[in-house]
Amino acid sequence: MSELSVVGKALVRTDGLRKATAQVTYGVDFKLPGMLYGKLLRSPYPHARIISIDTSQAEALPGVKAVVTGKDSPEGLFGSRINDQPPLAREKVRYIGEPVAAVAAVNEATAEKALGLIRVEYEEITPVFDPKEAMRPGAPIIHADLGKYQASPIFCHPVPGTNIMNYMKIRHGNVEMGFAQADFIFEDTFTTPAQHHCCLEPHAAVGQVGLDGKATVWTSTQGPYKVRTESASALSMPPSRVRVIATQVGGGFGAKGRAKLEPHCVLLSRKSGRPVKIVLTRHEVFTATSTRHPSVIRIKTGVKSDGTILAREVEVILDTGAYSESGEIVCWEIGQGAAGPYQIPNVKVDAYAVYTNKVPAGPMRGFGWPQIMWASESQIDIIAHKLGLDPLEVRLRNALEEGSVSATGEVMHSVGLKECLREAAAAIGWDDQRPPNRGRGIACLTKMSVPFLPSSAFVKINEDGRVGLLTSAVDIGQGSDTVLAQICAEDLGVGLSDIEVAVPDTDTTPPDMGVIASRITFHVGNAVRLAAADARQQVLALAADMLEASPEDLLLADGKVFVRGSPDRALSLAQVSTAAFFQKGGPILGRGSFLDEDVVPTDPDTGQSPKPCPYWKYGATAVEVEVDPETGVIKVLKLASAHDCGRAINPLLLNGQIEGGALTGLAYALWEEVVFDGGRITNPSFMEYRIPSTVEAPNISPIIVEAEHHAGPFGAKGAGEASTIGVAAAVGNALFDAVKVRIKDLPLTWEKVLAALEKKADDDRKEA
Amino acid sequence: MKHLIKLTVNGEEYEVAIEPNRSLLDVLRDDLELTGTKKGCETGDCGACTVVLDGKTVNACLILAVSANGKSILTIEGVAQGGKLHPVQEAFIEHGAIQCGYCTPGMILSAKSLLEENPRPTEWEVREAIAGNLCRCTGYVKIVKAILAVAEEMAKAPVA
Repeated sequence: MSELSVVGKALVRTDGLRKATAQVTYGVDFKLPGMLYGKLLRSPYPHARIISIDTSQAEALPGVKAVVTGKDSPEGLFGSRINDQPPLAREKVRYIGEPVAAVAAVNEATAEKALGLIRVEYEEITPVFDPKEAMRPGAPIIHADLGKYQASPIFCHPVPGTNIMNYMKIRHGNVEMGFAQADFIFEDTFTTPAQHHCCLEPHAAVGQVGLDGKATVWTSTQGPYKVRTESASALSMPPSRVRVIATQVGGGFGAKGRAKLEPHCVLLSRKSGRPVKIVLTRHEVFTATSTRHPSVIRIKTGVKSDGTILAREVEVILDTGAYSESGEIVCWEIGQGAAGPYQIPNVKVDAYAVYTNKVPAGPMRGFGWPQIMWASESQIDIIAHKLGLDPLEVRLRNALEEGSVSATGEVMHSVGLKECLREAAAAIGWDDQRPPNRGRGIACLTKMSVPFLPSSAFVKINEDGRVGLLTSAVDIGQGSDTVLAQICAEDLGVGLSDIEVAVPDTDTTPPDMGVIASRITFHVGNAVRLAAADARQQVLALAADMLEASPEDLLLADGKVFVRGSPDRALSLAQVSTAAFFQKGGPILGRGSFLDEDVVPTDPDTGQSPKPCPYWKYGATAVEVEVDPETGVIKVLKLASAHDCGRAINPLLLNGQIEGGALTGLAYALWEEVVFDGGRITNPSFMEYRIPSTVEAPNISPIIVEAEHHAGPFGAKGAGEASTIGVAAAVGNALFDAVKVRIKDLPLTWEKVLAALEKKADDDRKEA
Repeated sequence: MKHLIKLTVNGEEYEVAIEPNRSLLDVLRDDLELTGTKKGCETGDCGACTVVLDGKTVNACLILAVSANGKSILTIEGVAQGGKLHPVQEAFIEHGAIQCGYCTPGMILSAKSLLEENPRPTEWEVREAIAGNLCRCTGYVKIVKAILAVAEEMAKAPVA
């Protein structure tokens, strides 16, 4: 590849100055003239029939301008790939916190007061909170209409008449035969808790509906088109009658990818005739948005005595809560990942996403992979120790590499896993001698990208020669505005500061499936390249006319078009675009669309596909820990996180992604758990649900590995989620290395470590 | 009953009539429309609403606005002077310490206050000083680096 001038450079983010001076408008900041404030009345019961709702007293309260209930949206359902959720509960409620009614008033205090005047009569139904119980015959059915819901046949295999919202299978080779040939068989069950996204900005949206019925929503979202589709579906409107404009987003991590408050803002605005703003309280964010899926994962693995893996059988049960949210595809991906990034000839996976009467679990940074990698990579470590092998060597022996065949039958490409393992291990001094109570741990990670999610981009050359870039990718902090502008600048021979990135707006910026699944650099990046190429071709064609040269003889660089070999025969981009604008056919507008067309849907009975997704990410996390045997506290001394990102478009921003994701992964390993008492969350504040601050966070060493992908823009893949994924197992493995206790239930709290140490001391005494 | 209070914010005097239960955060954001100060939790746990009140950093969500009557407040909007960024702002941009930007105003004010009190902090002192400002994006690595870099620059070229 020729020398690049913008791509690959550690450039500072283009919105840094605006953010450092707070000259940006987040969802919570957005205001319109005449705006009302909305509040949601939420269910106090986990499972109950709604007998009646009386809103008359609330409506009579001075200052109240609208009250809406399920009757105001009588039919529409929304969801990610299975439409199972009403915007306001209709016949029944399915979790504590489910919206039942909404009020718009002149201020928040009045709206809040009005909520207390709404009388709802409920009749309780037996709830079910444990997904295993919910799977049993005779369990209370949470969605009687499961069989009637509109669902994507590629990803969703619901089991009507049960609480199994999705069931996915992998059948590869013959596991029975594999186990028969194995020297050792290991079987372990691992669990993971709910984790919360903890975006610092609470969910916030403003909706405005005109008398013509057209709705406009300004919202703190990761996916304007996704919110548009889901809001339209929830409200039985044509999607193009809902205009969604992204505000600045104060953190997303999966929590803001889908419709949450937007349908309610629209309903209230429609009824009141005024714009309505809803901002969730922190308590509501914790109790009524979504969490990472809790899981129970049983893994059985057969190995030869040299550590070669012959067979693996996995059962995954995901607690998806009351609505699908995105649990259907978390289930699908977790099934795809259950074999781990290894060459295993015989694999059998059964993965279930099961409804319970709890707040919906949904997409969160890592999307099922932190759960499955915790289980898988912990067991690989158990195997290595049992066989007396170096855990790093066992991984290297079985790791996928370029040309390996995966458990779903794909011949793998762009696999930097072994290099990640070696580099992460080296960064913590893998082979160093360590004093007592110190240990080392390593874990692989992989994650697929989600298939069948299109992206598109427009590029316009302004009359001043500067370039407008229009996509619907929202920069939620990950730096996509900068990275996409770098790609665009590179292809058009201009500087980063020559690119103006437009605000995502479904009426003007082209369709995109959202800032999810680490997909923006790859998918939108490719669309930008195509749009830039289209614009470039138009520039060269026109410049060729103007310079009386052939387009093939022209070069585009430094904001100029010139004739190869005669640099004095040149036109500025401004001259060309001005000529286009006023003399020749109109402005230069490039268009690019990207879809991973070579992806093949997985077989519903076997999960097999020659290409189930556009690309795979790989990485490795290595840690050194010190365990205090008196307190059980695990202190992380070193954390190295190595990532095969294909190619780093911007190493500064990529390192920031790796560091931030790794800390979220470490928090999952050591501290964070949304605690439920039945269906009620008992720690819904930053005081009770502590996210790490600077004093808990270790220094993190990010490592970039580049195994270029042939279909990626400049070889790039994605990176946003990866570093969260492998941390928990690396820490659990280091804990074992340090003090020889193995914990299979996250998080690895000091209480669990202490209990395990005491049990070990007891066992050791009995043996002696 | 509303109370009439006077606040000096970023050097400008404001007079506002407010209910006594309003927080300083809400008055800054809603009445004065200084929305750079962020609302994250309203319980003093996240630090997104950090402002400097008579020289001390506080969580504006925990301060009743009436109790700030007659006092002087610095918010993020007053940190850059005459179109020139404060060194902490510059360092945050240069070092990649900003992602979503929601914690940034509070972080910058905490960091600025730290460096005014302790111009040569150790890494641990930096970490302690901003421990009340939560960030979910960055893992704090680049934030800590940025603040230490400012301290180093200040040591090289003492402010005149």
